[in-house]
Amino acid sequence: MVAFTIEQIRGLMDKVTNVRNMSVIAHVDHGKSTLTDSLVQRAGIISAAKAGEARFTDTRKDEQERGITIKSTAISLYAAMEDDDVKEINQKTEGNSFLVNLIDSPGHVDFSSEVTAALRVTDGALVVVDCVEGVCVQTETVLRQSLGERIKPVLVINKVDRALLELQVTKEDLYQSFSRTIESVNVIISTYTDPVLGDVQVYPEKGTVAFGSGLHGWAFTVRQFASRYSKKFGVDRLKMMERLWGDSYFNPKTKKWTNKDKDADGKPLERAFNMFVLDPIFRLFSAIMNFKKDQIPTLLEKLEINLKSDEKELEGKALLKVVMRKFLPAADAMLEMIVIHLPSPITAQNYRAENLYEGPSDDASFAAIKNCDPRADLMLYVSKMVPTSDKGRFYAFGRVFAGTVKSGQKVRIQGPNYTPGKKDDLFIKAIQRTVLMMGRFVEPIDDCPAGNIVGLVGVDQFLLKSGTITTSETSHNLKVMKFSVSPVVRVAVEVKNANDLPKLVEGLKRLSKSDPCVLTQMSDSGEHIVAGTGELHLEICLQDLQNDHAGVPLRISPPVVSYMETVEAESSMVALSKSPNKHNRIYVKAQPIDEEVSLDIEKGVINPKDDFKARARILADKHGWDVTDARKIWCFGPDGTGPNLVIDQTKAVQYLNEIKDSVVAAFQWATKEGPIFGENVRSVRVNILDVTLHADAIHRGGGQIIPTMRRVTYASMLLAQPAIQEPVFLVEIQCPENAIGGIYSVLNKKRGQVISEEQRPGTPLFTVKAYLPVNESFGFSGELRQATGGQAFPQLVFDHWANLNGDPTDPTTKPGAIVKEKRERNGWKPEVPGYEEYYDKL
Amino acid sequence: MTQESIVPPSLSTHQDDSVFEFDRAQTKNSSRKHLHGIHKSGQDLTEAIYQYYSIDNIANFINQKEANADGKETFKYKAITLQFPDDLICDSATIVQALQDRNQTSEKASEKREPVQSEATIEPNTCGKCQNVILNDEQQVWILADTSYSPCCVDEVAAEHVKSDLVVHFGDACLNPVRSIPTLYVFGKPYVDEKKVVQDFLSKYDNDREKKIVLMADAPHSHCLKGIYDELIGSFPNLVYADLSIDAGSRYFVAGRELTGAGKVFKELNRVVLGLNDFEKLKDITPDEEVEFLQNYDLFHLGVPTAPKLLQLTTYFQDCVLYDTSDYKLVTGPFPNLLRRYKFMNVARTAGTIGLLVNTLSLSDTKDVINKLSHKIKSAGKKYYLFVVGKPNVAKLANFESVDIWCIIGCNQNGIIIDETNEYFKPIVTPYELLLALKDEVTWTGKWFTSFNLLLDEMQKEANDDNASEDEGKDSDEDEAPDFDLVTGTFSSKSRPLRRLKHLQISQESTNSNDDEGKLVKKLSGAVVLNGTVSTSAEHLQQRAWSGLGSDYDASGLDSSVGALVEEGRDGIARGYNYDQESTN
Repeated sequence: MVAFTIEQIRGLMDKVTNVRNMSVIAHVDHGKSTLTDSLVQRAGIISAAKAGEARFTDTRKDEQERGITIKSTAISLYAAMEDDDVKEINQKTEGNSFLVNLIDSPGHVDFSSEVTAALRVTDGALVVVDCVEGVCVQTETVLRQSLGERIKPVLVINKVDRALLELQVTKEDLYQSFSRTIESVNVIISTYTDPVLGDVQVYPEKGTVAFGSGLHGWAFTVRQFASRYSKKFGVDRLKMMERLWGDSYFNPKTKKWTNKDKDADGKPLERAFNMFVLDPIFRLFSAIMNFKKDQIPTLLEKLEINLKSDEKELEGKALLKVVMRKFLPAADAMLEMIVIHLPSPITAQNYRAENLYEGPSDDASFAAIKNCDPRADLMLYVSKMVPTSDKGRFYAFGRVFAGTVKSGQKVRIQGPNYTPGKKDDLFIKAIQRTVLMMGRFVEPIDDCPAGNIVGLVGVDQFLLKSGTITTSETSHNLKVMKFSVSPVVRVAVEVKNANDLPKLVEGLKRLSKSDPCVLTQMSDSGEHIVAGTGELHLEICLQDLQNDHAGVPLRISPPVVSYMETVEAESSMVALSKSPNKHNRIYVKAQPIDEEVSLDIEKGVINPKDDFKARARILADKHGWDVTDARKIWCFGPDGTGPNLVIDQTKAVQYLNEIKDSVVAAFQWATKEGPIFGENVRSVRVNILDVTLHADAIHRGGGQIIPTMRRVTYASMLLAQPAIQEPVFLVEIQCPENAIGGIYSVLNKKRGQVISEEQRPGTPLFTVKAYLPVNESFGFSGELRQATGGQAFPQLVFDHWANLNGDPTDPTTKPGAIVKEKRERNGWKPEVPGYEEYYDKL
Repeated sequence: MTQESIVPPSLSTHQDDSVFEFDRAQTKNSSRKHLHGIHKSGQDLTEAIYQYYSIDNIANFINQKEANADGKETFKYKAITLQFPDDLICDSATIVQALQDRNQTSEKASEKREPVQSEATIEPNTCGKCQNVILNDEQQVWILADTSYSPCCVDEVAAEHVKSDLVVHFGDACLNPVRSIPTLYVFGKPYVDEKKVVQDFLSKYDNDREKKIVLMADAPHSHCLKGIYDELIGSFPNLVYADLSIDAGSRYFVAGRELTGAGKVFKELNRVVLGLNDFEKLKDITPDEEVEFLQNYDLFHLGVPTAPKLLQLTTYFQDCVLYDTSDYKLVTGPFPNLLRRYKFMNVARTAGTIGLLVNTLSLSDTKDVINKLSHKIKSAGKKYYLFVVGKPNVAKLANFESVDIWCIIGCNQNGIIIDETNEYFKPIVTPYELLLALKDEVTWTGKWFTSFNLLLDEMQKEANDDNASEDEGKDSDEDEAPDFDLVTGTFSSKSRPLRRLKHLQISQESTNSNDDEGKLVKKLSGAVVLNGTVSTSAEHLQQRAWSGLGSDYDASGLDSSVGALVEEGRDGIARGYNYDQESTN
């Protein structure tokens, strides 16, 4: 029985103050989908018995089979709150009913891009942490991402049942474990928080932390218990909440609250949290699990839990589940946190607008976003594509940030490369239908106002992965998402039967749409490349490609990694190249760019679209650049955005501006295909020291300058200790102590580098962190499992690019061998050309 | 009285001899590599040249007479052009002289000739007219050098400048048909140590004597194939060889060698395969079947063919072995890669502007190919520009920045550029690849051909298929979906600039009033329309940061009453301004 109608939801959409857009984020296997089930069940979409096992938001067959979430799934839920709760909301609201647009996201690092796409369209995040495993690498990653998007977190500590049943901890141990987990979450939050958000750390005493068990369907917040006791003790609820957490003790003899853990006689006092919150739970657990049938009814009566007659027959875990679910329904605790503590779109867009919009902060679109104005021009961000039942077609899934989107409305579809005033990446099209995304179902709606999450039909052919949809001709794009992961693992695919080629091509296009992060490209040697973030990601993508998108048998190469070309020193002398007509000369030197600067460019902190003065400020203040240099950046490359720069260091050169376009075009070309083996160039700064140009314009045209600039860039790089960079994973492995030896031996074999090894306080578990070259990571999980008897599971996430030691021009070194192999595959001479090939004598 | 001479102000840079000392054109020492093995040091070079070119044969051919209408005997060919490739031009003087000598045999037989030594005496010159030599009152000879397009083809246009009725083509030739002019091919007879070749062949194929192998060579080396074949046929029963294929009754003649023997003609290779047992059966097979047939064979090729030719051969044969006759070694690669062509074909799919680069004027069917290609490009919604460029190179092509991809139309032996090392700014495809790229569906079968014949066939086939399904004119003001670019994995909104015209016009109507009747150029939301069609190159110009002199002039911070300070400019000549010297020190 569904507890609400689509009309109800549509009605609530107009009351934006009562909408909550939130995502559920966590480390893999910490129980996001299971917890989400409780909410879905509350909405009446699935039955209570199934909740926790159905994983309703895992819509794909392989998600159910593997037991992990692969795609993020959205669902809209209707929630009615008590007056009591509504009163505590610190932002404007209307009435008691609320609309929760929830997105369940995958936890595996390989699918982080799905999380990014989910976070973009939501304002709040429900962070789930396993109370046994604690904060893991992906917890940190997703928290960092959400704070970067200015998304407010609340915390759920999940799997408390495990702590009680398996580990049999004491109340105080459990409290300590909780507070440690909260502490580590807060450490991360305070590290990455954006001052605009204010204090977003989580506090149990403020009701922003819940404890529970998704599997059993129960959870509680301190606030819930405070409500119960505030009546009993006759104290204000807020005061009670303060008392139920931290160093607060109740002396049952004196009936007094104190902050000392001993009473006047020096006898130990029980912590208030343990006494009032944990104690009833512990008692229930022990009574039911130890089959103390006589105690159960009294307990139930005390806690005001009424069981149906057939439920009374249950025993053990089954009974425990029913009882706990009645006692502390998980949905209540979570809804309470979501509704009270997470911001409404109106609140959130007010501070998120400047982070969302590429354009200036004084135009109409910006104001509309900031005010979440449903009557303004449409501003909608499509963050991902969701496959429809119609093969090859997709719903464009996104959030309306301003205006109202309607079926049949004619809109401007702006791809990621759109710039106002130009027509690149701009399409005009009518929206066929607007739909509400409900897990594996969709419900048609007529329109959708600002602040809500929506699916669009009929625009999928114009957007590959994401984009901006607007009705205003002057609107800039909403900011393009930056992913924390990079597609560094690649395979080549080819059809087994040449006649299937068109199907593969169509399949690659569909695959590219269906995943926010996967790249489908073609290598220099003409192979179709599919690039993913890790082995699992790639495996899923290829499986989809083969079985679904292309539907033809494929031959798949073993995985390889992509490399970058770079330099390690300044050019040993000034590189000079002459134009083909010998009348123009360019003098340059190459030098490496600091890794921090490259990272900032890749993250978009230093951006070619920025005002050059602002950009120069960042470079000078943060990275110690010379201000004149920083102001004279001619271009970024490759693709106009990459982490390589051309700096104009010339003085008084005639006609210099005239050749700028040619130089820029040549630099894009040269950094796209580097001199060593045709890979992208990274972290190279080319300083143009001097230029001599022919006095006649006809002799200094593009034909003369473009090849020359490319040659001189190559020459300067080859003179500057060229090197190649390989991608490196950060590996995090959690394991018991006896498995550590095995981990070390596998890491050593694979050029791994351990950076830390810590014991998780209160547990026998160790966390080992290490750097591992992506190239060595293939089959790493398997070997690790073997070496540790299956006790260690690694999480691998792309971390950085590292220079590969050795001279790439010498085929006896490791990088040299890689270079030689690639050059031969491309049909080039195996030797890297010397700088003399590109260098001209005056 | 001292008279002060009035010196005019020096307007040009001072120049003395030292300025011109840099980089004089270097005199090339031609070593006449082609005569290696024929010309022994100390011998008379002319003898070697005569022998190499079979000069008597040429002379006899030229001296043919025929009876004209009124029964008088005249020379059959009156205006004769001799076409030399760059590496043989050094022999032209000797040859012309020899022809003169032989023409006036009777009285001048005894006259002693000056032996020509090694230096070339004739400067290369594109204009045929300047180099005419009169043989006798009826016959004239011109030398054509520095061929504008590919030296392997007959330069018909240059020959027509002098109304020539015979082209004598020297050196390696592609044997591709030209439109009308009679041609005498003189390939030359390079020396090949046949014993050494046989030996190396044996050591290469010793393990597998049953293997099906085709012996082949470039045109000059083809003369020795028969000898090698006879030597080897005993031990390799499945060996065949491919000689040049020139129809006996056609306008084409060969000097210095007999082309005999019946075999299967493979038109795409311009070769006739001899030694097949059952070639009669193969007489009427289609080109596709020919390729299939060749797929069973390995190729052993004397001489290293040019990249396009080699690429074509690798698609025809199972395996290719190249044998370099200059140092008698097997060539191991790198060979051009067909899959890279697949990539470029995909680049062409999303290219908005295509440069049709015409690198031949004499090949028959050139016009047809250009017309059909341009029609196809247009109907695919892409923009094309037509260029005729002789000897294209990186600098020439990079001048046209707005072109996304080049399609080169030229002779398949030397006239196509296969850019293996990505040296060119924009990729270059062949007409066949472009044809594939303009299809709706991506196809790639591993076939790859460059001859115009097959190309036109393919176009015809396609045209027949398409005839039924032509439904243009979807009258909607909505945009068409963009194409997926397989190379970059993104959507490309610029791949069909002509299709987006409608959308542009709509946005114009709403913004502009209709008073721009007399204007040549209409500006529509960022695109430029010239004569009713989108000009992608004008659009490209608009995107340039530098838009002409003065556009970068920054007047702020200057006091208008004072004006800018005059700065001293640069002097010297382009070869090395004095300013330039300083900066390098």
